[in-house]
Amino acid sequence: MADRRTFLKTLAGGAAFLLAPAGKLASNTTATDAGTSFAVVKSKDTAAAVRKSVELLGGMGAFVNKGETVFIKPNISWDKIPDQAATTNPLVVQTIVAMVIEAGAKKVIVADNTCNDARRSYKRSGIQEAAEKAGADVPFMEKRKFVRMDLGGDVLKEWEVYTEAFEADKIINVPVAKHHGLSGVTLSMKNLMGLIGGRRDLLHQKLSESIVDLAFFFKPNLTILDAVRILKAHGPQGSTLGDVERRDTIAASSDLVKIDAFGIDLFGEQFREKGLSGFPHLKMAEKKGLGTSDYRTNGYVGLDLDKT
Amino acid sequence: MMKNLRRTSQILFLLVFLILFIQTEYKGKDELGLPVRLFLDFDPLIALSSLLATHVVKKIFLLSLVTIALTFFLGRVFCGWVCPLGTLNTVIGYFRMRRPSRNPDDGNHPRMRKYKYYILVFILVAAVFGWNAAGFLDPISITIRSMAIGFNPAINGLVRAFFEFSYVLAVPGISPAMDSLYSILTGTLLAFEQPVFRQMIPIALIFSAILALNFVAPRFWCRYLCPLGALLGFVGYRQLFARVDVDGEKCVSCHMCNRSCQGDATPFPPGQWTSSECLICFNCKDVCPASAVRIHPSMKKTGDGKVDLQRRHIIATGVAAIAAVPLIGLGETGKRHSPDLIRPPGALPEDEFLRTCVKCGECMKVCLTNGLQPAFNQAGLEGLWTPVLVPRLGYCEFYCNLCNQVCPTGAIRSISLEEKQKIRIGLAFFDKNRCIPYALGRNCGVCEEHCPAPGKAITFLIEEGIDRSGKSFELKKPVVNPDLCIGCGICENKCPIVDKPGIRVSSINESRADYQLYL
Repeated sequence: MADRRTFLKTLAGGAAFLLAPAGKLASNTTATDAGTSFAVVKSKDTAAAVRKSVELLGGMGAFVNKGETVFIKPNISWDKIPDQAATTNPLVVQTIVAMVIEAGAKKVIVADNTCNDARRSYKRSGIQEAAEKAGADVPFMEKRKFVRMDLGGDVLKEWEVYTEAFEADKIINVPVAKHHGLSGVTLSMKNLMGLIGGRRDLLHQKLSESIVDLAFFFKPNLTILDAVRILKAHGPQGSTLGDVERRDTIAASSDLVKIDAFGIDLFGEQFREKGLSGFPHLKMAEKKGLGTSDYRTNGYVGLDLDKT
Repeated sequence: MMKNLRRTSQILFLLVFLILFIQTEYKGKDELGLPVRLFLDFDPLIALSSLLATHVVKKIFLLSLVTIALTFFLGRVFCGWVCPLGTLNTVIGYFRMRRPSRNPDDGNHPRMRKYKYYILVFILVAAVFGWNAAGFLDPISITIRSMAIGFNPAINGLVRAFFEFSYVLAVPGISPAMDSLYSILTGTLLAFEQPVFRQMIPIALIFSAILALNFVAPRFWCRYLCPLGALLGFVGYRQLFARVDVDGEKCVSCHMCNRSCQGDATPFPPGQWTSSECLICFNCKDVCPASAVRIHPSMKKTGDGKVDLQRRHIIATGVAAIAAVPLIGLGETGKRHSPDLIRPPGALPEDEFLRTCVKCGECMKVCLTNGLQPAFNQAGLEGLWTPVLVPRLGYCEFYCNLCNQVCPTGAIRSISLEEKQKIRIGLAFFDKNRCIPYALGRNCGVCEEHCPAPGKAITFLIEEGIDRSGKSFELKKPVVNPDLCIGCGICENKCPIVDKPGIRVSSINESRADYQLYL
């Protein structure tokens, strides 16, 4: 039974691989016309900050074409309310869904492979309700929709990938900035773990290599970092509200190495000093040509909407 | 006419039962809303045996007085018109009854009617001496347990296999349609995730055997074995409102009433109708070709049939029950608490718990992670099928208190989420010979990541590690803080060493028992 199932799944996986749009497989580090490749926007008005950050990169139209299927990957890992900053802010997700639909996408899927019970996490994070309100499909990830495929990574050779994410025309990665007990912080690359299935917990033994492999495989077209609230201790799920700090910041880029480098800086001196050696995944990602950790030089725009 | 009304009632109550059963699952709200244990609340056997065993009157048991009152005036209408197991037996027994036979009283064994009374006596006497065995044999408890642990997983497995097959075949047009149907079914009629239970097969087989007995005699269980039926027969045998009256002058001795009788209440020969056995099903009136049967209110004693109960057998049963009570506690768990006996949060202290739990399985059905499983030997013979948390299969979700909401007897207390989150149900221990950072010298930290306890019961001790190439790195060794650990088991559940984990929860330090305290 198991053998036939595996065989059929492999077949299905192979077919999906062959049929996948060619663009998805090719590298697509989209450079934008506006010349801005990294935007940081601060505002108490979260929706406005999200909109402005993408606008600075040339608008959602620069990332999403009419009629496309877009997969949005927020962090819905935990059975926690938005105030606890363990999951992506629902308003951020809602705004992105709305923008993607405005850009003419045919279908928007919002989903995550959760750690706590999926039903509770979808519900209490507020993301299910917010994303559905804006017009997205918010399905639970079903085991059968994970297909084992060749990731071509250094550590991750073959792994189970969520087909709907793989088959989507575009992926928008929407992590929340959090402390992480093992890796120090969890940001955009680590967030991609929610697109795979199987024995994910094994990856913790080679976490940096694994998440770089994931970033290389999925190559999200756009990454929008939610730093409205950041979780400063006891991450990735937090403990009490005392671990949370409000920053009202959104960062957007198609370069997730820049996002991660910026994200580390959000946590202050102590983290920044560790530099590239403390966060080996940045260096590995640079080496693989995924982007650059120096987010401050070329194409950086920082705005505070509440001050202008 | 009345027969059809009775059938309609049976179908409606069975449907209500199934709806409540399906409803016993997380549906997106922290509060379950509908009282899913409704049928057990109205069950006087559960109320009586719990009362005798625990000496505690719970408000919820008062509902069973409604059943008692109804039975007092109308006889065993609960058996004939309401009981879901009775209805299942009716349906299956119907196929049996259609078999032709030369024996005019085929399928009737009036001499076996007494056994259910002896079973009842055993249960009640045992309860008085502190062993609440009602849950094993109460029909409502049996039905809920068998469906939750036996049939529901099996049905889910079959339906899922069917849809999965359609999914992998990917037939254009058909598979996508099947897929949308599947999405609608999951979490509504089907469980959200495939339930997996230990002892699924034995529990399903026992229930199948009860149903199969209908081929020996229709409603075999209800007529000869059911202790609730016996209790209701005892309460209702003097009823005055639905007495069967067979007119001996009109009777043509065709035995049709006996053959169609659901309860083996022997309406024929006239005068032998046995009130305590009658399920008020109206079959005899319906089937009588001579219109000799009347069912009506009557002050007059219309039937003189007796159940063949013998005083010495009753006394012997009582003595056996008294002797069974100490014997049942002689297992090794009577001497030492099992490390695997991790009870759900809010469970009463163990001896009280055993006297209160009726093994209905609702807590296991509702458990969000499928971690609550029927005990086999963890709690001794007395505790068979009581709930234990098996962290390798599922953990206790921090923000969930559904099991506290469904328990019909309060064996798992009805408590607020805040209170539940403070209860320790066990304590996690690292096995340093298996835990990855200790045993293999590389980082892992999955348990720390998942620990939900406020302040984190698992933290890292940072040491210098040396990797294979001789480079030093920060090796994070996890440790458990026993003051914060609540024993929820998510660490053991998520430990990447999937066979024998690097961290295990045992029942030590659970807050419900002094003798289990760690320090």
